[in-house]
Amino acid sequence: MAMQRGAGGGYVQRSSSAGLYEILDLLLDKGLVVDVFLRVSLVGIELLTVDARIVIASVDTYLRFAEAVNRLDLTESGGQGLPEIMENITENGASSKSKGVLEGAKDALFGGDEDSDDDDKESSGSSRSSGSGQRSRSRQRSSTRGRSS
Amino acid sequence: MSASSAKYVYGVISATSAPPPGPGIGGAEPRLVRAHELGALVSDIDADEIALGRDAMTAHARVLEQALAAGTVLPMRFGVVMADDDAVRDELLDAHGTQLRAQLADLAGKVELKLRASYDEQGLMREAVAQDPQIARMRESLRGAPEEATYYARIQLGELVAAVVERIRQTDAGAILDSLAPLAVAFETGEPAHERIALNASFLVERDRIPEFDDQVDRIGRAQAERMRLKYTGPLPPHSFVRIAAAEA
Repeated sequence: MAMQRGAGGGYVQRSSSAGLYEILDLLLDKGLVVDVFLRVSLVGIELLTVDARIVIASVDTYLRFAEAVNRLDLTESGGQGLPEIMENITENGASSKSKGVLEGAKDALFGGDEDSDDDDKESSGSSRSSGSGQRSRSRQRSSTRGRSS
Repeated sequence: MSASSAKYVYGVISATSAPPPGPGIGGAEPRLVRAHELGALVSDIDADEIALGRDAMTAHARVLEQALAAGTVLPMRFGVVMADDDAVRDELLDAHGTQLRAQLADLAGKVELKLRASYDEQGLMREAVAQDPQIARMRESLRGAPEEATYYARIQLGELVAAVVERIRQTDAGAILDSLAPLAVAFETGEPAHERIALNASFLVERDRIPEFDDQVDRIGRAQAERMRLKYTGPLPPHSFVRIAAAEA
């Protein structure tokens, strides 16, 4: 059911709902709920809602921004085009640090096979593979929603 | 609870619609529980140990996607399980019937389109440096200094960057929303999930305006190609535009 189609000459990545990752927040946070329903456990899924919400006004973010801005090589900043920028990103690999938890969490749930997220490919290096396996195992929790009848 | 089957609920459609074909969660066939002109799309699920993972989520999305292809559907949030058909009838269709019928009528012929825009990090940092000379100065003063000695200075620098980034984000998000909102019936913005997100928004769009909306998204994508990357998903069931307010009963 994955119907990816490129639109706009590749400027916009278009997909149907098949790209589950893109609609995770909708599936988990949006939609109708009733007050009376049974207890279910979401295996390896709810961590996304917990961990993926990074706080933007936090020391962590500030330090990441500081690092990112310090990493910039302004001497070559002049008319640098996108291809060179992309090259730099892949070369220094450092942007993985600023990827945050979201991608890690995504891997825990979806493994490597799912998405076509170009963002991720840029910096899929170490942060991606390391620990994602144990993450999905160790994060199984049961969430209690509503009452159990 | 004894070993029995509970009902997983996917969404609500009109009672006259047919349940979408194909398997639901755990391979169980979706069917309709009907009341008050409404049909709740449900399938049986083992009530003793309800553990929902990625497969269940995929099935949930697929059932709703097919229901949307056939007509109007009010999607449930992922993970709603009710005790039995009577509970579905009483506590969902009966307790909220008026709202559900009204929303089915309102949302007929409309779909959700989701747009996420994220910045290229280096580009964003360059913009931040260019917009605030103090950032460039602090950057210079930190150059070559040992990490331990500059902890607070780096936090301060990061704070400055965060403030500029927030301004840039608001400007861009505002501009994108301004250009798309006129083509939509409604829109909802979500919290950015990471620092480089410029916009995370859902739009409720009439089906016959989808091509127009597509074109506008393409234009934005082209204009911003050097700064940000757009992820455009849909048509989706109107997840962001349904809700059950406090019980009517």
